[in-house]
Amino acid sequence: MDAHAAGPLVRVDGITKSFGGVRALRGVSLEIQPGEVHALLGENGAGKSTLIKILSGVHTQDSGSIEIAGRPARFDNPTQSRAAGIAVVYQDLSLVESLSVGANLMLGREPCTPLGFIKKGALMAEVEDFLRQHGIPLDPRVSVGSLPFAYRQMTEICKALMGDVRVLILDEPTSALTGDEEQILFDAIATVTKRGVGVIYVTHRLNEVFRISQRVTVLRDGANVGTFTTAETDMKQLVAAIVGADHAAVEVKETDPDSHSVRAAARPVLALADVSNDRLHNVDLSLEEGEIHGLAGLIGSGRTEILETIFGLRGIDSGTLALNGAAVQLRRPGDAIAQGIALVPEDRHLQGLVLEHSIERNLTLPRLPFFSRWGWIQQRAAGREAEAAIGKLAVKAPGPSTPAKNLSGGNQQKVVFAKWNHPRPRVLLLDEPTVGVDVGAREEIYGLVRAAAREGTGILMVSSDLAELLLLCDRVSIVIDGTVARTFARSALGDAEQLHHLLQISQTVNELPT
Amino acid sequence: MTDPIVAKAATQPGPEPDRWRQLARTLLRGERPYMLYIAFAILLVIFSFASPWFLSVENFLNIGRQTTLVSIIAVGMTFVIIARQIDLSVASNLALSGMAAALAMAYIGNHWIVGAVAGIGCGALVGFINGVLTTRLAIPSFLVTLGTLSAARGLALMVTSTKPVIITDETYFAVFGEGSLLGIPAPIAWTAAAMIAGILLLHYNIFGRRIYAAGGNPTAALYSGIQIKRVTTIAFVLTGMLAGLAALVLSARSHAARPDVVQGMELDVIASVILGGCSLFGGRGFILGTLLGSLIIGTLNNGLVLLGVSSPLQLVIKGAIIVAAVAFTKR
Repeated sequence: MDAHAAGPLVRVDGITKSFGGVRALRGVSLEIQPGEVHALLGENGAGKSTLIKILSGVHTQDSGSIEIAGRPARFDNPTQSRAAGIAVVYQDLSLVESLSVGANLMLGREPCTPLGFIKKGALMAEVEDFLRQHGIPLDPRVSVGSLPFAYRQMTEICKALMGDVRVLILDEPTSALTGDEEQILFDAIATVTKRGVGVIYVTHRLNEVFRISQRVTVLRDGANVGTFTTAETDMKQLVAAIVGADHAAVEVKETDPDSHSVRAAARPVLALADVSNDRLHNVDLSLEEGEIHGLAGLIGSGRTEILETIFGLRGIDSGTLALNGAAVQLRRPGDAIAQGIALVPEDRHLQGLVLEHSIERNLTLPRLPFFSRWGWIQQRAAGREAEAAIGKLAVKAPGPSTPAKNLSGGNQQKVVFAKWNHPRPRVLLLDEPTVGVDVGAREEIYGLVRAAAREGTGILMVSSDLAELLLLCDRVSIVIDGTVARTFARSALGDAEQLHHLLQISQTVNELPT
Repeated sequence: MTDPIVAKAATQPGPEPDRWRQLARTLLRGERPYMLYIAFAILLVIFSFASPWFLSVENFLNIGRQTTLVSIIAVGMTFVIIARQIDLSVASNLALSGMAAALAMAYIGNHWIVGAVAGIGCGALVGFINGVLTTRLAIPSFLVTLGTLSAARGLALMVTSTKPVIITDETYFAVFGEGSLLGIPAPIAWTAAAMIAGILLLHYNIFGRRIYAAGGNPTAALYSGIQIKRVTTIAFVLTGMLAGLAALVLSARSHAARPDVVQGMELDVIASVILGGCSLFGGRGFILGTLLGSLIIGTLNNGLVLLGVSSPLQLVIKGAIIVAAVAFTKR
């Protein structure tokens, strides 16, 4: 404990890390003091997750040093990191739902009789002592599955704290919490820091930074932008640091100026009126022919759910969905596809591709009837279409029979786009189309999106990269808590910094300034 | 398109792959098909050295006849396993379908078509139940078909209080058992028919593509508009129908349907499919591999008998081979 007074708990210095030529971290430094909540900010792809994975031993840095309480450390696996006192609470929880809170906390080190029977009384007593000491309002006898999400998360934090923990890393802990649950979590964090534990708090929500952190470090493009004392900074300064003011301004200029005037006579190809279901309420949205329409919002705000509802993956409880002015009922994705709606989903490995199968098989899958007669596949037509799509989208692959898993991320994403190459869809839904895609392929994908819009397809695009939305979109709608809060024409929006600011403010007060 | 290297890569496949290469690729499709051929060859060599009777025409006809039931059902099981499911009820389904066919001919009309419709229909019904319980109630198919394995066998034994039902229609014997088509014995002709239908459906029809996708990555299939529940149910119905066809072949051979036949045959069927290069993890496999797999199992059964290996030990050896095969397909 003396070491705490002497210096920082954790000192990360000049860390670099590359993944197959992509430099995720290019010299990142970070210091955590005992008892401090240190917020870590940055856009998707800024390097936050990579840094956390290095601290937790999932990845090992290429160069740079880590010191824990003044002693140099290097983690080759998560066990070493845990032994050094670093505990991570991930977004996806790792609890056994059928067991009690107590059993979960003591999992793997239950007090036993010599014959291996668990001493349940001793176990519960130990857990109760621990919870009382930390002032955490949890009943160790309740099963985890019956708890609300915030309490499960608290259980997870307790589990992380039960060893000798010096640093606790929380990765976007509030993305699935309600307001009340957030307060419970913040109270738990305050209890933990009182004992001298340092907390690294990763988030996208700036208002949380001001509520609980003492200092904040911002990353951009794998490097430090700066570390600020929370009390001495403001939202404007942080947003500028996250987005990078110069960067945003440069990209915005690239927007094609005459792309807007073309759509004077456009008509809505898709219209949602007052649509509600389990995750959405009263969504009003319209999409014109040839329009690129962005959906901006935080993770968990319901952007993806809007796309899923339009694609028939979620039912509609009330409200209407109309295509070219006619109301339609889409019970399943097959119905949506038949109506000319296409979706490029967020997770191309899980939702977009059958990785083991060839490019040709993946391409033809959503619209097999187009490549067959009386149910029999027209091998030649399918092969021709695959060749054409590979050429048109410049997929770098030896041929149509190459398995999708052998392609790079950018080329895989192009294959997912190519699934909808022919015939041209009326509505194209894009969910984070450039996540995990290298810079070159990203430009090509932007080209594809613009080309599809020019041909008349209406495009609805979800992206957390605000500069990307501003670069491509004719209009941007802001999604908050499952509804479209407001829609702006591109010309009414300034640069990425302003849009980011708008998002943060609207999230905080839940209504937009006029 | 502006990049010259890209343009070159896209056109590289160049000369249109001719039909024979296409066929060869179909034949070789699967996880490790060449290992299958090697395994089969080694098996043949060992047994021909070990037993003087093994390398004879009669013995090979024998193997062919013995493997028909397994081969026919294994065609359906290939679809089920590619769709990431399993059907343990096939042997019981065969017994029940055989009873249905014989009873229909005894009580409804003594004509082979009546028997065929009743047998295959009964098999399809059991398959449909398997499929619906698996997909609509989301019960793992392992459990559903473990249940129907027991229930179908019980029903087969119940209908006649465990007594066999005699079949008298001569045409029935000829069509499914003793007759021949172009010199090919009827049971082998039916096996070939099931294989060809399976190849066409799996490798050349939309349905096959959908089955592969549903098993290879169900989420991606869903996002591509595939109705996974429907496709999976059809695979179970198909397997049930083939169990019904196998029941007709068996009862035509013995001139009667017995409720206690082929107990434990699901093991041979599943082993054939797995040996044939299907992945138990879905999305992978091909019909000709399955045929080879069932021939290996048949040869193994036959060879072990010729070597005088006791039937309990045969079970042990077969079990070990299945586990080893799965260990190979696991990645």
